[in-house]
Order: sequence, then C-alpha cells, then structure tokens
Amino acid sequence: MLTLSSISKSFPGVKALDQVHLDVRAGEIHALVGENGAGKSTLTKTIAGVYQPDEGQIEYDGEIVHWTSPGEAKSAGIHVIYQEFVLFPHLSVAENIFLGHERRGAFGLIDYPQTDRDARELLQRLGVEIDPNDRVSELTVADQQMVEIAKALVHKVKLLILDEPTAVISGHEVELLFKRLRALKEDGVAIIYISHRLEEIFEICDRVTVMKDGHYVDSKNVADIDRDQLISLMVGRDMSELFPPRVGEAKFGDVVLRTNNLSVNGRVTNASIELRAGEITALAGMVGAGRTELALGIFGGLPMSSGSVEIDGETFTEMKPALAIKKGLGLVTEDRKGQGLAMQLDVAANITASDLDAVAKYGLINTIRELQIARDEIREYQIACRGPRNPVATMSGGNQQKVIVARWARTCSKVLILDEPTRGVDVGAKVEIYRIMRELAAKGIAILMISSELPEVVGMSDRVIVMREGVVTGELSKDQLSEEAIMQLATRHEAA
Amino acid sequence: MTALAIRSFNFATKSRSGLLVVIALLVLLFFFGALISDRFRSVSNLLNVFEQSTGLALVSLGQTLTVLTGGIDLSVGSMISLLSVLMSGTIDGEAARVLPVCIGILVLGAAIGSLNGLTVIWLRVHPLIVTLGMGALLQGVTLLYTLGPAGSVPFEFDYVAYGRLLGLPVGAVFTIALFILVALFLRYVPFGRAIYAVGDDEIGARLMGLPRKRVLVFVYAFSGICCALTAIYLVGRFGVGNVYTGQNYTLASITPVVVGGTMLTGGRGGVIGTLFGVYLISLLNNLLNFMDISSHYQLIVQGLIIILAVSVYVEKKRAV
Amino acid sequence: MQQAVQSKSMSSDTNSKKLSDFGARYGIHLALLGLIVLSSIVSPAFLTANNVSNMLLQAAPLGIVVIGQAFVILVRGLDLSVASVMATAAVVATSFDGQPGDVVPIILVALAIGVATGLANGLLVAKRNVSPFLATLATMIVLQGIRFAYTGGAPSGNVPHFFRIIGSETVYGLPYNVIILAIIAAFFWVLLHKSVFGRQVYITGGNPSVARLVGMNADRVIIICYVISGTLAAIAGLVLSGFVGIVDNWVGRGMELDSIVAAVMGGIALSGGRGTIVGGLIGAAILVVVFNAVLLFGMPVQFQIIIKGIVIVIAAAFYVKRGA
Repeated sequence: MLTLSSISKSFPGVKALDQVHLDVRAGEIHALVGENGAGKSTLTKTIAGVYQPDEGQIEYDGEIVHWTSPGEAKSAGIHVIYQEFVLFPHLSVAENIFLGHERRGAFGLIDYPQTDRDARELLQRLGVEIDPNDRVSELTVADQQMVEIAKALVHKVKLLILDEPTAVISGHEVELLFKRLRALKEDGVAIIYISHRLEEIFEICDRVTVMKDGHYVDSKNVADIDRDQLISLMVGRDMSELFPPRVGEAKFGDVVLRTNNLSVNGRVTNASIELRAGEITALAGMVGAGRTELALGIFGGLPMSSGSVEIDGETFTEMKPALAIKKGLGLVTEDRKGQGLAMQLDVAANITASDLDAVAKYGLINTIRELQIARDEIREYQIACRGPRNPVATMSGGNQQKVIVARWARTCSKVLILDEPTRGVDVGAKVEIYRIMRELAAKGIAILMISSELPEVVGMSDRVIVMREGVVTGELSKDQLSEEAIMQLATRHEAA
Repeated sequence: MTALAIRSFNFATKSRSGLLVVIALLVLLFFFGALISDRFRSVSNLLNVFEQSTGLALVSLGQTLTVLTGGIDLSVGSMISLLSVLMSGTIDGEAARVLPVCIGILVLGAAIGSLNGLTVIWLRVHPLIVTLGMGALLQGVTLLYTLGPAGSVPFEFDYVAYGRLLGLPVGAVFTIALFILVALFLRYVPFGRAIYAVGDDEIGARLMGLPRKRVLVFVYAFSGICCALTAIYLVGRFGVGNVYTGQNYTLASITPVVVGGTMLTGGRGGVIGTLFGVYLISLLNNLLNFMDISSHYQLIVQGLIIILAVSVYVEKKRAV
Repeated sequence: MQQAVQSKSMSSDTNSKKLSDFGARYGIHLALLGLIVLSSIVSPAFLTANNVSNMLLQAAPLGIVVIGQAFVILVRGLDLSVASVMATAAVVATSFDGQPGDVVPIILVALAIGVATGLANGLLVAKRNVSPFLATLATMIVLQGIRFAYTGGAPSGNVPHFFRIIGSETVYGLPYNVIILAIIAAFFWVLLHKSVFGRQVYITGGNPSVARLVGMNADRVIIICYVISGTLAAIAGLVLSGFVGIVDNWVGRGMELDSIVAAVMGGIALSGGRGTIVGGLIGAAILVVVFNAVLLFGMPVQFQIIIKGIVIVIAAAFYVKRGA
C-alpha cells in the first residue's frame, strides 16, 4: 500500500529524517512510535506532501509518487489528522466536513440541504451527536476530532494517519475512536497510528515501526514483542537510566504553597492542592484536564474566578505574574514558542527577562553584568550555544528549554512550576532537565511538574495530583504510584 | 444611551447578527434625521444619497474580499485615480471609444490587482506593504501621465451615475446587484468558501489542499476590477478623470468593511454588511450636512465611528 | 554518532549563514553607501556642501518621526496618525502671532497634542485590543477633523522666527534641525538599547505573552511606545513648519507612509521585536538620498514616488528572505 524507502529530509541545521523506511499494508493499523523529536511528525508530513524528501522514494498504491503539495496526496486518498486539527473555527461543522469537496447541486453550486443531510448521516455513522450547523469553535475537543474523522470519510480515504489522537480525549471517547478505526480497517483502509501510549498500541495495532532521532530503528509485529522490548527499542536504553536518583534522603519541608478551592475561568473548579518545599509533585491528567490553567491561575497568568492561593502563609485572592515572581514563584510554560521565549532575542535577554532589576541600575541595563550572568547560566546548565548573544531562535528545542529553566531557576526561591518540561526535547536534554529538577528540589524548592508522559510522572515525582475535567480527582503518594492508578483517576471510566 | 447601544451591539455580535445591528442603526438614523429635517426624508434626497454612495460601495466591495482573506488593499485610491485619468484621457470625448476603453480599464484593473496578489505570494511580504508600494508606484505613474484632469468623456456618459432605471439611479442599482451576486458567490460557490477558509487559517488551508494562491490572486484581481468600476462611475459622474479622484478612497474604503462586521484578522464577515456600512456612512454624512455641521466635524464623526465599530466587534480579549 | 551527523550538516551551512547574517546586519549600511557613491559619480552636484546640507535639512523631520514609528513597530504596531499630528502641531504653532514669547506655549501645546494622540492610540490598541491600523487610522481622521474645524479650513498666521531658525538655518553648515535630530536620536537610542524599558519593548514586541508572564506590564509598554511616537511627531511637525515657513493643513502629508517605509527598509520588522534606531535612521537617509538623486539625475519628480513604492516592497522581501 505505502512503502517508503531511504527517506531523508533536512532542515537548516537539523537532519530530521535519515534513511527512514516504512511499509504499511492495506487493512492494517500500523503504529509509529518514538520519543519526541524522533521525526514522526516530519515523516507524516512527508507522506502527506507537505514536505518533499531530499532523498529516497515513496511508493503508494503501486506507483512511485512525487507529491508537491498536500492537495495531491489528499486527492490520492491520504488523510492526516494532525495533532493540531485542521479545522476552520468560524465555519460550521458541515462546511468543515465538506470543505474542498462541497456537495453540489444545480450549476455546480453548493447544495446546503444536501450538505446538511450528508453531514448528519456521517456524524451518525460515527455515533456522535453533533449539530452540523454549529461552528467548530463551539465544539469540545473530542467532538472536533470526530469532525476530523468525518472529513476523512468524505474523502474516500485509503490511508489514514492519526497523530496522537488520544492526547486530547479520554475514556469513553477513546473506545469510540478505536471502534471506528477497527471498522475502517475492516473496510481495507491502511492506518498509521502515532501514539505515546504504549498500551493503546498493544490494544489496537497490528504492526509497529520504531523511530529514534530521525533514524529508522525496527519494525515488528505487535504480537511478537512485549512492552519492555518496545520501550528499549524506542529509548535505546533502560528507562530507569533516564531518571536520576534523588540525592540523599527525601526530606520535605513545610507547605509553601496551597490553593484553597481555586477556580479558574470555568476550566478549573475548586482545586485545593499543597506543595511542600523540596518535594517534586506531579500534576497528571489528560490534555485539557485543566492542569495548565491551574498553573496559570496560581501564577497570575489567568484570573482566579474564586478561591485563593496561599504562599508561605500569605493569602492572595488576586494574582499577577509580577507579584508571583516577587513571592518566589517561577513558571516554565508548556508552549515554548508561544509563551516561553522571545525568539528573536538572544540567550542573555531571555534569561534575565524575569528579573531585569538584578542587572539594572538607574533604569539602565548593565551589559557586563548581564553577560556575566548569562555566561554563568550557560555553563551551569550546559546550554549549547555560541554565547550569550546567540538568538534563541537558532537553537535546538532542548537548549531553548534549558534557557527557560535557567531563567526561572535563577529567580524562583520557593516554587517552580514546569508545564510539560520535556515535550519536544531530545533524550540528552531530557535527562539534563530531570537532573536540574532534582537539584532544585534538593535546594528546598517545591517543584510542580505537569506531565502527560506517565513514565516521567512515575519516575520523577514524590507525589502525584491527578486532575480530570477541571477537578482534582485524587492524590497518590510515592508508594501508591503506578501508571494504572494515575489513569484510573484521570479518566472517567476504568482505565483502558 | 451609548452604554445601552454598546450592550445591544455586544449582544448582537455574540448572536452573529451584527448585520441586523447595522441595519437597525441605519433605520434609527433615518428616523432621527426625518424628525430633524423634512428635506432629509424626501425621496429625492434619499435617491441622492443612494446615488452618491455608489463609488464608495464599489471600492469597499473589493476591499471586503481582500480583508476576508486577512489581507488589505491600500492601492485602491491610486488605482482609481490612474484608471480614471487613463480612461478619460484615452476616450478624449470620442463616443466610439467609450466601450473599448471601459473594457480595457477593467482588464487593466484586474491585471494590476493580480500583480498585487502575485507579489504577496512570490515575495511573502505582507499585503499591507505590497499594496502600499503598489499604491505609490501607481500614483507616480498617474502623475507622469498628467498633472491634472485629463481628456473628457461624452456628455451622455453621465448615464452611469445619473441615469434612472424605473426611477432609481442606474449605477447604484447595478452596485446592489453586484453585491448580491458576490454574496451568493461567497456562499454558494465552493471557491467562495475557500476565501473564508484561507482567511480563517492560512496554514490549515494549505494542509487541506485548498487553492490558497488562486484565492489570493483572485481577491486582489477582483479588488482591481472594483477599482476600475469605481473609476468608470466617477468619470461618468464628473465627466472627466482627475489625478486626485481616488485619493480619499484608500482609507475610506476600509471604514464600511469594518463597520459591516468584517474582521481585519480575516475569515469572518461578508459583503452585505459592507453594503449597509456604506449606506450608514453615506446617510450619516448627508444628515450631518442637513444639520449644518461642517465637513470638518463629519471627519471627526467618521473617526469615532471606526473606533466604535472596532471596539464593538473586537475579538475576545486574549487570555495570557 | 547522531551528533557527528548534526555538527557536520551544521558546519556546511555555517559559511552561507555567516554571509547572510552579515547581509542582514549590514546590507542596509552598504545600500546607503552604494547609493551615495553611485549618486556622486553620476552627478557631481550630489556631494557639494550645499546639497548635503540641503538633504540633511530635509531628512531631519523624517528622521524624528521614524524614531517614534520604530518604537511602535517594535511592539507590533503601526502609527498612521503621525502626519496628522505633525500638521496639527504645525497649524497650532502658526495660529499664534509669531511673537518670541509664544515659543514656549507653542511647544507645550504641540507636545500636548502629540501625547494625547499617542495616549488615545495606545489605549485603543492595548486596552481595547483594536488593530493598530484601525486605531491610528481613526485618530488620524479625528485629528484631521479637529484641525480643519480649528482653522476653518484655511490656517493663518506666521511661523515664529525661532522655529524658522530651527527649521532652516545652519551653524557651520550643520542645520539646527539635524542637531535636534541627533539629540533626540541619542536619547532614544539609549532608551531603546540600553535601558530596562527598551528591553521591555523588545520582549513585548517579540512575544507579548512572554512579557506578561515574566511580570512586565505589556499594556503600559505598548501605550508608552505610542505616546513616544505621538510626541516625536509633534516635535517633527514644529521642525518641519520651521523648514517650510508657511503652514497649511497638510504639513507632513505622506510622512506616515514615508516613516513606515524608512523603518521597514531599515530592518524594523512589522512582526515586532526586531530592528534598531540606527537602522530606521539609515532607512530615512536612503529615502532622502533617493529623492534627491532622482532630481539631480534629471528624472521627473514623480519617479520619487515610483521608486519609493518599488523600494519598500523589495526591502520587505529582502528581510523576509532572511527566514524570520
């Protein structure tokens, strides 16, 4: 059905794909796994015609193809559901489903009644109740995903690619998705399924291809391997090596931060959590469970709608980032590009941004002092760059992340919140970031780590708080900790 | 009273019927004017306003489409000036030349507009800059061609402006028809939906394989055609093309678009809103004339309207 | 091994990268230099003291406006109201009788107009989330109306002698208005490139969310940038009225576009967070030299506009190609 041989693709400064092979058959669900940054997304986009490979060939449906645009791949029956959906928020559900393939009536004009009927029927087949006249921006994320799948059905899909489809949905919705995928498979559709959740791969996939750092590692029948074998293929080393052990005895201090029935903007409801000095607390849950919003609420990035935050015994019912920083808080945001870094500026400016007063006198910046601080931090966190004046935009994801961590580690004295700190960074930087977290905890800082990667949660944290749909559903201490226990609290039904 | 107005505005935009509000304001304005002045509500005055709104309506129609894609066309004023001097200069009073020249002007407008669109695609420069540059270029060319009024058109050509069809001004009726046609096109032709999609999410449109490039060339070419139509109308109305004919239309054409509820961020709005935006502004200026308020204050009012409109239609306040 | 592969592919890029870095950084300087060399070769009149002094005189008001425009563009904005502010300030300046004692009140009134306009722009953009294009367009129109209403369509009065000197006289061949530009440029250079506020401008423009999350008051930064632009436009209006000598309602007309063109040519990115004061000033200088060269070369004056239109698009494309 689809055979990729020796595909390579480079971007300025990075070889994203290096001699990658992939072989997908009709009527199978083929898992594509690998760490963040392994090249899965680039490979997906190469198949979909967004990127053109530098070398290698793509054989699809018995022919060698050279797609120059996504449109060509699409008309050949390839449909990709990206992690970030390609939906047009201001168009209706029905319009989105049929965009580019409009239902036409007389004179080739759009036949809206027919569009409406067909959209209804498609959505019914998927077993979801969505009004085709609603605007997509008004739907839940799970419903938006169903609209994406409905789009695939319109296009007489032959090859369906799903990039982390379960990252945004939970429990029942996952079941529904799997049912739908199995039915498509029965119809002879080839499916490439990208996921971090290994249990899903064992549940639904027939074969699996592993990638690592842009290279092809291996392809296996799912029935022939077990979970540990798969992990060691992905990581290339034992998982336990990733997480540095705690230095010395676990000694947790007092509670330094407490939220009392904190609600944020309809996304978090009455959350009460406690963070202790020197402890690494993980905040687990599905994407969209309100974890990021809780973090922003504590830090003042989003307004609190009710409740309060207590820092070192002082109660606040209103918070601003400037005040949070003054009180010793730091926040490493999830979205590096969007909320973490000013990309055009250099390393030094990004590191000192949260505490310009430290490098300023009479409102003027002391450049020598700033460069000195930046050099220290670069050495301390082994940030690979050409120096403090290197613009962060030209650096790798892992090093960019270290810049942000360095910024906050420098200024925060009590609590550091890290939102998906290892997303999109390579294994080396990951280990480095884990090490930094351990060090900061050892210095007596309370760490709150938001993470969707369960092995990371289990491997790093002393305590886990789990959220679901904006509500804290439970807390697990170190000895109760397991991936299954977290999933149970994170999903509505029994863990899949 | 303003607070109430703003609140009802907000409510209306939330329920996606900003259009109704513009119409309501239009009606309100009319009744207010009718109370103040008998002459204002006279049929001949209203027909006059209707007739005079034609130029603004035509430019704004093209502008709406560029704004729907998230762009803007700042070359319209210079283009109208250039096309109108070329037109009257070439016709130069000869009746036989009218038709071929008009066709030529329309083709030229489409060509210049296409060049705008192609430049946006090729150079990946923001439309604001591209059309700004094009505007300057066209202005220079215009002034090279002539430094004042050029040529003339046959007297009868004022039919496009003053002619009556069933008692209604021909140009204005044609304009309404064109608006309706474009509105139907945007809604019922798949390409029309693609225009909205490109403005809503340009990268998404590319991933979906929508004809992004064709959409961009089309909207700027269409804007060029609208400029040509405006030029033809204005030349008919004044009997001659002048280098300053189009000057004020560049920025003026944006006001009705915004008042009509089309977002500068693209992807939302429509041409019917723009049409009513044009009528609202024309009627308001007319009313201010009747109230003996000098044109200086009319400018102030126009600025305030923009501020009011954009504050009302404003996107949800950003989160972080 | 993976690292070896990466560093290899990195090093092959390095040379071309260095070259393009150099181009991005000094391309504008080279362009100005090349233009000057070319002009002086083609026209001997170009480098005469008289002509240079003349160009500087013309450049000063534009330069002052560009500095303000730079601040606004750096925070992802755009100020279309500058020309309107200039004209209004100039009209007010002449409406006094031209007595020496009026100088101070004139300056104060002009500055008040600039600050008020900047404040209105800034509040609309930062607090009401209005697009900068529309916000400044609206204030531009309102100000125009106010100006017309104030003058009744025909401004009258004389430019005080003081401003005539500032606007058009020279000392040792150096125009006073260039000295003023130099002082202003030096002050705002320090403010932008050396002060905490300047850093806040870059971070707010580079990424407003980051600015908020690191505890900066992004709204205030944006508002101040618009106030700077309005204030400098008012000063430029006074300087220009002194240069022109007579005042009409359209003093500074076209300056909003010229200042944007100069800023973009000078490498100040419309997407915010990137560019320098010096870049903007060089952009202004190029514009003035081009205008001057067009006349010296015996081309019709209209070519000034045509070249301006082409140059801005090419300049913008040049910076896009750097792959921002």
